[in-house]
Amino acid sequence: MIALSVAAALAVFILYTSVAGAGTPQLQPSDLAVHSQGDIMLVGTVVGSPAGDAHAAGGLHFVLKDAKGKHTAARVPVSYTGTVPDLFRTGREVVVEGTLRNGTFVAKPGTLSTKCPSKYAPAPAKKST
Amino acid sequence: MTIALVLAALLAVLAVAFVARPFLREPAPVSDRLDELSEPERRRLELAEERDRALEALKELEFDHRTGKVSDDDYRLLVGPLRRRAAETLRALEPRAEARHERITSSH
Amino acid sequence: MAALGRAALLLSFGLIAYALVAGSFAAWKRRRRLALSAQNALIAAFGTTVVAALVLWTALWRHDFSFVYVADHTSRTLPLGYRLSAFWSGQEGSLLLWLVVLTGYSALAVWLNRRTRDLVVWVVPMLAGISTFFVFMLCFISSPFTTAAAPADGAGMNVSLQNPYMLAHPPLLYLGYVGLSIPFAFAMGALLSRRTDERWIVVTRRWTLAAWTFLGVGQLVGSHWAYVEIGWGGYYAWDPVENAALMPWLAATAFLHSVMIQEKRGMLKVWNMVLVALAFNLSIFGTFLTRSGVINSIHSFAQSSIGSWFLGFIVICVVFSVGLIYLRLPLLRTKTKLESLVSREATFLYNNLLLVALCLTILWGVMFPVLTQAVRGETRSVSKPYYNFFLHSFGLPLLLLMGIGPLVAWRRASLRALGKTFLIPAIASVVTGGTLIALGYGSSIPGLLAYTFGAFVAASIALEFVRGTRARHSLSGGSWLGALVELVGRNRRRYGGYIVHASILMLAIGIAGSSAYQTVRERGLHQGQSMEVAGYTLTYERLQTRQEANAVATRAVVDVSRGGSHVTTLYPGKNDYPVEQQVSNEVSIYHDPRNLGDLFTIADQIDKNGTLFLKVLNKPLVNLVWGAGFLFVFGALVAMWPDAVEQRKLAERYAPGAAAA
Repeated sequence: MIALSVAAALAVFILYTSVAGAGTPQLQPSDLAVHSQGDIMLVGTVVGSPAGDAHAAGGLHFVLKDAKGKHTAARVPVSYTGTVPDLFRTGREVVVEGTLRNGTFVAKPGTLSTKCPSKYAPAPAKKST
Repeated sequence: MTIALVLAALLAVLAVAFVARPFLREPAPVSDRLDELSEPERRRLELAEERDRALEALKELEFDHRTGKVSDDDYRLLVGPLRRRAAETLRALEPRAEARHERITSSH
Repeated sequence: MAALGRAALLLSFGLIAYALVAGSFAAWKRRRRLALSAQNALIAAFGTTVVAALVLWTALWRHDFSFVYVADHTSRTLPLGYRLSAFWSGQEGSLLLWLVVLTGYSALAVWLNRRTRDLVVWVVPMLAGISTFFVFMLCFISSPFTTAAAPADGAGMNVSLQNPYMLAHPPLLYLGYVGLSIPFAFAMGALLSRRTDERWIVVTRRWTLAAWTFLGVGQLVGSHWAYVEIGWGGYYAWDPVENAALMPWLAATAFLHSVMIQEKRGMLKVWNMVLVALAFNLSIFGTFLTRSGVINSIHSFAQSSIGSWFLGFIVICVVFSVGLIYLRLPLLRTKTKLESLVSREATFLYNNLLLVALCLTILWGVMFPVLTQAVRGETRSVSKPYYNFFLHSFGLPLLLLMGIGPLVAWRRASLRALGKTFLIPAIASVVTGGTLIALGYGSSIPGLLAYTFGAFVAASIALEFVRGTRARHSLSGGSWLGALVELVGRNRRRYGGYIVHASILMLAIGIAGSSAYQTVRERGLHQGQSMEVAGYTLTYERLQTRQEANAVATRAVVDVSRGGSHVTTLYPGKNDYPVEQQVSNEVSIYHDPRNLGDLFTIADQIDKNGTLFLKVLNKPLVNLVWGAGFLFVFGALVAMWPDAVEQRKLAERYAPGAAAA
């Protein structure tokens, strides 16, 4: 029975990954120097002052640095349109999905979410459903 | 601070007393052995469960038949073996009942 | 007073450690008084833990900011209800809540079953072992009773937590999570005592059902909180912390079903042991995920070292469970085999396979970042498309099975009989499917399948009640209602189960409608402008600002009309909390009686010049999701309700020497 369940799960899983690819890499700004192709989930802390309007044509512009680890010098500019979570501000750790284009991380609309700084409190703005 | 200490001490005393209770109530018991199920008792329990299982299966078959889930043909096919199984388990339990009855009456 | 709390917890530690060590020794060496003493220690530990809990609650009530915990999680302006619920809003307090529930459940379970001495003698050290970890953490790693110089005011509670649903969510969830420890402990106890009978299943049946119900309701309450409070328009985001509660629930669902097979046919003993261990270990894993920062989740708590302690405990639990089951394998072997692939046993097996497969794929998805980091040195993650794929692949067949199962007989079902019983539900589903396609619902295949299968299930359940009532009526006469009541009364587990299935059906339809057939529109509006969503016209009239107790509330006044006539006015907006320096999203929802759904409005952004970026979602049938919760609880209560006839039978079976009477 156990073997059957695992087999069933694995079979469907293999089917899925062969079709859809194996997940999206989660990277920090310092990693982008090495890995810059394809769909990426960028994790970082907001530095400086965000400028622009996420609902206007130009989008919201902010800069991310590594949230943890040793490479704190790396900086990546991000261009974002869509819903901005309530907790978004300088110093917050955020996650955003998108691709790197000409040195700027162009985000997929609506994929920005923040991690709450304190214990026990989620506060994201996510894609619908 | 002192109230806290007093309460804590009280709590500790109550806890220790409760834990020691079995030893305090029976300082010198006849037997300190924890009974476990003997082999015949284990077997009887398993048989009792099998008996209940067989009887339950019969009841469900009747019910399923009455509500139309099991057709007349299927019912006729299934009810025989189930009845036999139930009878077997009932019979298997009886000798033990008889044996125990004998033991009790002989010890009086 | 903190000293009393610390002392009480240390006493709990001593009692629990004693229960573990003395209890194990007593079980091994068959010492009656020592076993009783260990049992008393476990029960006493509940008392001392409650004292510790009362100390914390008193401190919260009285604003005792010398308690670091109270200062960190409450403030002078926090209302009493939320002050008291701050008990479980932080790491240390929630661990204490876990311990209170665990020792409480343990004391009750052991006390109720004290006469089954040879089983309980092993259950006591098992439960003590689990409790040891939590009390150790509370005493030495993560104490709620650390003190410091009292600040003038506390840090306050995160505003999004100040919501009645979030107040109820952790206790409900814990009553579920922790409840799974009881059947686990009894199962392992049965293995340790080498008992091969079903006693452990019989005595833990209601515990499992209750824990499962609490876990389900707890998750539903949490989703509802996310829906109304966080307000992104959804209620489940496949976040690791959400999955953390779903996985043990799925495993427990599988367990609930497969123990029925063990009771009826004596089969699947090894499988049941594995499932109950899986459910328990997933419950600990679940709380580990939520507390440590190991998976990058938006819900992650502080990246503290507490994660490594939990990981160590999980490893011990898994090794112990697997080891014990392996050692006792010979005891669990049975001769009974599955007679036919077309039988109710078989449908239960398929149900189990699907549930466990879904559980494992979710686990795989949750662990994916950790595994890829370890194997490839690069963290990769999966998201909604992954989970939805598997939810559809496994969930839709599960939905259909809920309708098939009741129609199939035990042991062996002939295809001809199946044809007869399947006829009406099959017609219902085909008709529903055809009608829906004609109405344009073919836009979403999973949605269409969910509705079609749902029709099958609904018909199947309805037929069960009708057939059963008819049979009862022909036996005992009286009114039809009386027959129905008697039918359910005599078969509480079966018909309670059907009611629960109906609630899951409701849930599935609600989810399908609100995800597969929802409409989302986003527009930037100036004052006076309108937008159209699903036949509704929403007009942004003006902004209003209001000063509330601790926030500045900005609301957009949005007029909603349909076909020219006014339906309602909605007020989506934002709250600005100057003290906490936070802005919160305040959604405005219209419960639409036309489609049992919601018109969900979010003020995404309000510009200084008054331009409103309004996001509107039309979510058909979403209120079925919440309604399902009530039906779920009702069905579970019916299934759990004590049955005097059944109790008598069980007493006779397990009473020693009863056959002689």
